[in-house]
Amino acid sequence: MNIQEYISSGIIESYVLGLATNSEKQEFERMCALHPELVKARNAFEMTLEEFAMMNQTKPSKNLKSKIFAAIDIESDQEHFITEGGSADELVMNDPPDTIFKRPSAVVSMGRARFLAAASVILLLCSIALNFYYFRKYMDYNTRYQALVQSQSELAGNNQALQAKMAEYENTLNLMKDPHMLVVKMPSIPKGPDLASMTTVYWDSLSKDVYLSVSHLPDPSETQQYQLWALLDGKPIDAGVIELRKGVAMVKMKNIPKADAFAITLEKKGGSPSPNLKQLYVMGKV
Amino acid sequence: MSLLKSRDDKAFGYLYDNYSGSLFTIVSQIVNDMELANDVLQEVFINIWRKIESYDASKGRLFTWMLNIARNASIDTLRSKSYQNSQKNQSLSDTTEFSSAPGKTNQDIDIIGFKKVMERLKKEHRVLIDLAYFKGYTHEEISEIEDLPLGTVKTRIRNALLQLREYLK
Repeated sequence: MNIQEYISSGIIESYVLGLATNSEKQEFERMCALHPELVKARNAFEMTLEEFAMMNQTKPSKNLKSKIFAAIDIESDQEHFITEGGSADELVMNDPPDTIFKRPSAVVSMGRARFLAAASVILLLCSIALNFYYFRKYMDYNTRYQALVQSQSELAGNNQALQAKMAEYENTLNLMKDPHMLVVKMPSIPKGPDLASMTTVYWDSLSKDVYLSVSHLPDPSETQQYQLWALLDGKPIDAGVIELRKGVAMVKMKNIPKADAFAITLEKKGGSPSPNLKQLYVMGKV
Repeated sequence: MSLLKSRDDKAFGYLYDNYSGSLFTIVSQIVNDMELANDVLQEVFINIWRKIESYDASKGRLFTWMLNIARNASIDTLRSKSYQNSQKNQSLSDTTEFSSAPGKTNQDIDIIGFKKVMERLKKEHRVLIDLAYFKGYTHEEISEIEDLPLGTVKTRIRNALLQLREYLK
């Protein structure tokens, strides 16, 4: 078979359109290498085919191009990743691609995981220690704070007591300064139970209110109480029992319209209707 | 060409703009379904991009190379299991109006390109080209299907191709 016959046998068309068998293909390629005119004829048919195809176009969907480019972008990114790891030839020589791909990154991620685990344990321990430290500090501050609150309230209480005392004294002072106030000194009677006893009655000549200032009287027993009496024409009039309280300079007694003298006796607790003259401590004439 | 081999995006974009239309025609004529043809064409261009380094200009033109990739991908799709299943489902609903829609688009493709030129072939030639080129059967398979001697199949296909060549001009 000469070359012209071969060219016109239909083998060119079979080969170009992909219908030739493998042995036909190999033979055709061998022939092409030997006969430039065969290549020329093949080229001519390819041109015909291409021109025909270009005249018969159908448009694929519009977004297909961007889809294809998105897909190949992903592939080319992966390829860069391989070549960055080392020369591609080297990788292919030494290992199947799968293992090269995974091994270094696996080692890196293992190291990373370990580092992260260790770091988190250390952080946890630090956190526990700090918690403990701050808890102790908190407890310490809390007790100190409680102590401060307590002493503050004590101080406030003292302050209040002092103010009350001050007010009491001021009150007493005002009473004593009052020009209408009649002062009746009551010393111990000559044969009294306690010669050192001494009290003073302040008697408002306008309102007839009676105040008593106890300078000195012996402390009564639990069941006894001192009682003040006003004496009018030799008859005793109850002027009230005396509530002895520390820090109180003057005690207000019952209102007494008229009296010649005042006296104090020691009576049973709550007072008596008539004075026990055996226990007469002090007396003073108006 | 060297830009293509180094996988330059612009060069590849140019390739797509130039050849997607003619390759889409052949793909859709083989798979007979516009939507499926889009998927196949995507695969075709990704394959072109992947294999561009293996293209050997001494064995033929770039378009010939791409056309064969497109034809092979289309025939692979025809033979894939998922496609065969979808065909079965379609044949069940063949009588409904819905399934007539793709048929209409197929007719549009059929009136251009090789399919139109094939109309001019004798029927005995046309059937063989359809089986060999559009269905991808080997000569042996065709000789069984058509109950013809292998030699006859070969001769008829060669003759049909030579005739087609004249029609393409």
